[in-house]
Amino acid sequence: MEENIVKKEVLYPYLTRPVEIYERENGHKVVLAHKEGGLVNISSWVKTGSINENDENNGISHFLEHLMFKGTHKHKAGYFDKTLEAKGAIVNAATWKDYTFYYVTLPKGPQNAYMNEAIELHADMMLDPVIPEDEIGPAFTYGDDSVSQKRERHVVIEEIRMRQDQPWTKVYNNTNKNMYTNHPYKRDVIGHAETIASIPREVILDYYKTHYTPNNITTIVAGDFDSEEVLEKVVKEFDFKGRQNYQNPKHNLDEPVNEEKYFELKGKINTGFAITGWLGPIASDIKDNIGLEIINIVLGEGQSSRLYQNLVEKVTNPVFNVVTTDFYNFRDGGNFFVQSNFKADKKEEAISLIKHEFEMLLKDGMTEREFNKAKKKLKARFAESSETVSDIAENIGYYMTVCDNLDLVEQYLEDLENYNLEDVNQVARKYLQFNNSVTTVLLPE
Amino acid sequence: MKKIILENNIPLVLKKNKNTPRMALCFYFKIEKPEKKAGLYTLLNRLFLQGTKNRTAEQLANELDENAIDCYSEMKQDFIRFKLQCLNEDFEKGVEILADIIENSTFDDFDKEVIKLKGEIPAELDDPKTKAMDAFYKNIFKNHPYGHTYTKILEDIDEIKKEEVLEVYNDLMKNSSKVISLVGDFEEEKILELTNKYFKNIFNSQNRNNQINMPILSEPAVVKVQKDDAAQAQVIQGWHVPTIYDTDYPAIMVMNTMLGSSGLSSRLFLELRDKKGLAYVVRSSYETYDKAALFNVYIATEPKNIKTSLEGFKIELDKIKNIPVTEQELENAKNNLIGRRQFFSETNLQQSSLMAFYEDKGLGADYEEKLIYAINNVTTEDIQRVANKCLNGPSVLTVLAPSSYLESI
Repeated sequence: MEENIVKKEVLYPYLTRPVEIYERENGHKVVLAHKEGGLVNISSWVKTGSINENDENNGISHFLEHLMFKGTHKHKAGYFDKTLEAKGAIVNAATWKDYTFYYVTLPKGPQNAYMNEAIELHADMMLDPVIPEDEIGPAFTYGDDSVSQKRERHVVIEEIRMRQDQPWTKVYNNTNKNMYTNHPYKRDVIGHAETIASIPREVILDYYKTHYTPNNITTIVAGDFDSEEVLEKVVKEFDFKGRQNYQNPKHNLDEPVNEEKYFELKGKINTGFAITGWLGPIASDIKDNIGLEIINIVLGEGQSSRLYQNLVEKVTNPVFNVVTTDFYNFRDGGNFFVQSNFKADKKEEAISLIKHEFEMLLKDGMTEREFNKAKKKLKARFAESSETVSDIAENIGYYMTVCDNLDLVEQYLEDLENYNLEDVNQVARKYLQFNNSVTTVLLPE
Repeated sequence: MKKIILENNIPLVLKKNKNTPRMALCFYFKIEKPEKKAGLYTLLNRLFLQGTKNRTAEQLANELDENAIDCYSEMKQDFIRFKLQCLNEDFEKGVEILADIIENSTFDDFDKEVIKLKGEIPAELDDPKTKAMDAFYKNIFKNHPYGHTYTKILEDIDEIKKEEVLEVYNDLMKNSSKVISLVGDFEEEKILELTNKYFKNIFNSQNRNNQINMPILSEPAVVKVQKDDAAQAQVIQGWHVPTIYDTDYPAIMVMNTMLGSSGLSSRLFLELRDKKGLAYVVRSSYETYDKAALFNVYIATEPKNIKTSLEGFKIELDKIKNIPVTEQELENAKNNLIGRRQFFSETNLQQSSLMAFYEDKGLGADYEEKLIYAINNVTTEDIQRVANKCLNGPSVLTVLAPSSYLESI
């Protein structure tokens, strides 16, 4: 029987044709985006990441991401990478709090041959991973040096070690952990070496079976192709064989801390690092998200930002080497951060200077000129993200997976146009109070 | 793709990509004189965005951001390049600002920029990988401007005077060879009008006179960098190898792809990561400059695995030197390399940058096509030959690790 597939179109800024969204009967979504050129990007976004983890299995989403590359019943480990890379593909995957995604970017090939083969292999990997014991490597107690068969567990442990050596990551992790009380976002996506060393294969397989379900996966193809043909191909290759769907549990949102929290770490470094973080709006609340994106640009992005101008550019002997802000969007609430690197003996001054800038923003708001600059930059960002098949697919994946709604892309520019200065000043006062913030400082020992 | 010589004698290489919302322009200034003190060109480069006779640094930053124009300069071993990227409708504004930056920078913020740089360098060096790389480049290019790394700049920076930066600037404006490249959706006539108008006072040098010597590595060296709280050791080994100007350039690129830069299927990745679980990051790289090129292997691993990793490198390097690669592996590596080059030249800015890079080297902006042809002609014998040519000479090995692990290296 012919499958009933519901089609919808969304106007995506700067693309020459609307983006097509198809929802299949089983809930699997396929999104096709047209972009002229010889490259094509094929990706699948799964609605799982550290949001679905607990203290016992923290890191499992990311570990599974590594293990998905270790072969299927049809193809041995290495076949996928070797075959596609031999056609000029970039093959990789990434895990974050709300999602895990797998992608292949490659030339379409003669008569789309490479693209079609990539769709076949990508679907096979997504639907039929074997996760063989000998590729995972035997479970061991972390610290036990007698393990001889070092396989993927050790690779991930090395990735953890790499992050342990990064000062910014240390500071970020501590701030992030303390911004939450119960929400799973408090955990580091990569997890802990102890868990990765010992987690059994069965637990990983169960996790895969639970979360990699049709309703939790969006497959995106971006490039220059015949939509009908590609849709048919994706639908054919993504045969879930009646796999049961799974609804992710809803988590209670954490309230921000109600009094300022401060932590100090030490390391063998020469300068000071600090990150202060606040909880922000849920990802689908476009209005408040736009507000914080504007504040991010005005306060801490680029050389014209307030923090750079006031704390670096206009002072003779600056305390700061780096001072910027960042805003991350997450399904259950984004994070706003201010991050700085400063002269190690100027900790108090650094913290108080940053605080002062936030106080000024909350008290006096931003100027019309700053506001208009940020709006223009946000518009231009859409042009930027339409330049490569990978960026287009990544943006679509974010909206489909984190916001559950690609219409928001179309709405975004309209919402941005209608935004006014008072809206943004209100958002600043709502989210960026210092008594709702968590600060971590890393200083030389 | 088209090349036009502008009224100021600067070659402009153009490529039209229809239906693209942003224009991308690159402006290359070749560095042809060695800097007398480490950091001279770095300071010059940083001072370009610190104010002109017409705009203060703040005004400049505001005007660029208010128009969503990305405009910045970058300093590399052989050139300083400006990159300009903006929405099509803002292009004239962008070109006008860029011309103002190039022609009218005041360099008044010299003292402040020195202070800022002296603060930023220790922050960068707090990252162990940066620290290890710094030691590596400083030693593999000892006594040569290519070895003017962060730590060398820190040694010299207090000796640098503003007048010296001005001297370097004037020399660059007057004597360096220059190239402009542009990719986007444009009308050629309009572009010629704009570039001739705004860049009319910037001239191309008629006398190419590159005074930078070839660096020589005559002795092998082991450089140990102590970092007692490092969770991972940083291990880099590198050799001086032929440059982009050598006929072996395509073959070395293919060898590099095969050995450690093809992604998840290279030899180093399969043997040291997949089979031995030694690392998350292990790779090789081939970097070419005008006067030298490097072939490097790199791994970040638990400090107790340093020896095993170095043995792993040796096994793989010996293999590629002594055992002919198969036709299939060669074919795969070529396709990988060619396909990835498409990926890394997808945007207008990437294309513009590549075109100017080749034109600056005197290879022609369309060199990419010739390169792909040459890559396709690399043979299995070529791989073995270049492996022996590249990997038998002296190397510099740099290891960053806690002190107890450094003793036995």
